[in-house]
Amino acid sequence: MPNKVERSKVFSHWLIAISIFFLFVSSWWMLALPLPSENFTYRQLPFQLHKNIGITIFLIIIWLLTIRILKARERFHSSIKKSEKLAERVHLVIYFLIASCCISGYLSSSYSGWGTTVWWLLDLTSWAEENDSLNILFSDFHLWSCWVLLLAVVGHIGVALYHAFKNDQDIDKMYRW
Amino acid sequence: MSIQEGNNANIKWIGVTSVLFGVLLIANHGNEILRQFVIVPDSVAESAVVADCRPDELEEENLSLKECHLMVSNVQIILASSPSWFRPVSVCLYLLGFLFALFSLLSGMRFITSPDSAQRSLRASFVSLTAIDFLIFATVSTTGPLLRSIYLWPNLLWFFIHLALLAAVVSYNSGSTQEVN
Repeated sequence: MPNKVERSKVFSHWLIAISIFFLFVSSWWMLALPLPSENFTYRQLPFQLHKNIGITIFLIIIWLLTIRILKARERFHSSIKKSEKLAERVHLVIYFLIASCCISGYLSSSYSGWGTTVWWLLDLTSWAEENDSLNILFSDFHLWSCWVLLLAVVGHIGVALYHAFKNDQDIDKMYRW
Repeated sequence: MSIQEGNNANIKWIGVTSVLFGVLLIANHGNEILRQFVIVPDSVAESAVVADCRPDELEEENLSLKECHLMVSNVQIILASSPSWFRPVSVCLYLLGFLFALFSLLSGMRFITSPDSAQRSLRASFVSLTAIDFLIFATVSTTGPLLRSIYLWPNLLWFFIHLALLAAVVSYNSGSTQEVN
């Protein structure tokens, strides 16, 4: 039976997976909504939700990274397979990409002049002045890092499906509840 | 010597694809529910207010002036082509779909580790999802061509995905009980 940490890792993995796909599909849709103005406020709710989910994912990624670092220390002397080493590195790249998407999105939002309220409870202090060129810079970075993330996620799913169809035990732990 | 064909076959793929499509469906239905909460009747797009297309915003979003104006039309299309009953009915259906997608995801995960105990719940989730897809299809069919052009084809794809997965789960049952000499 998996222990508490393993369970929470599995839970976090699937929560992040759902959230990332939701963020992709909702962002493609919400960017086709009318530009914000005094009259048109259609983007308000989707953007706040987008930012809140992004902030939450970032916190979960920090937590998962902490667990991974602590575990890596434990396993320092034990020998692991080449494929496991590769998987470990790929996971780190995906974590890095997710974190990049979150950070660039947050910075773009900070320079856009629009405020962020975390889950409609806590107003984040605005630390940056509105700056169009920095907003565009980080917005571009956000866009491209997210495209790369999507590519990495597609690869990740492809490899997971390969192991499932091959019927080895490599991915079983991610489905143990 | 007799072998149980179903037990020898790799059935893990059913659980894995259930989980994958469960994740995608949750995202899809979540977005649809969000769409229904954002684009509400009697909102500003229905009045004659012109889109506010500031040059700095256009540059920021990499948009042309025409595209900016068409974004309002995008909302108007949904509002003008949705009958008054459409929004509450579709919110209910997509909410149900969201919950059953979650159920199929959890059942798919269980199916990978213990297929025999999870098979019933996975079958139930796919029967429900196929029925919900059918209901969404029937609901959208009764609206005009604008909504049909947005919803019908993706909905039909989901219907066949769920039908295929349902057939796979049901065939696992018959395969595991059939003895091959």
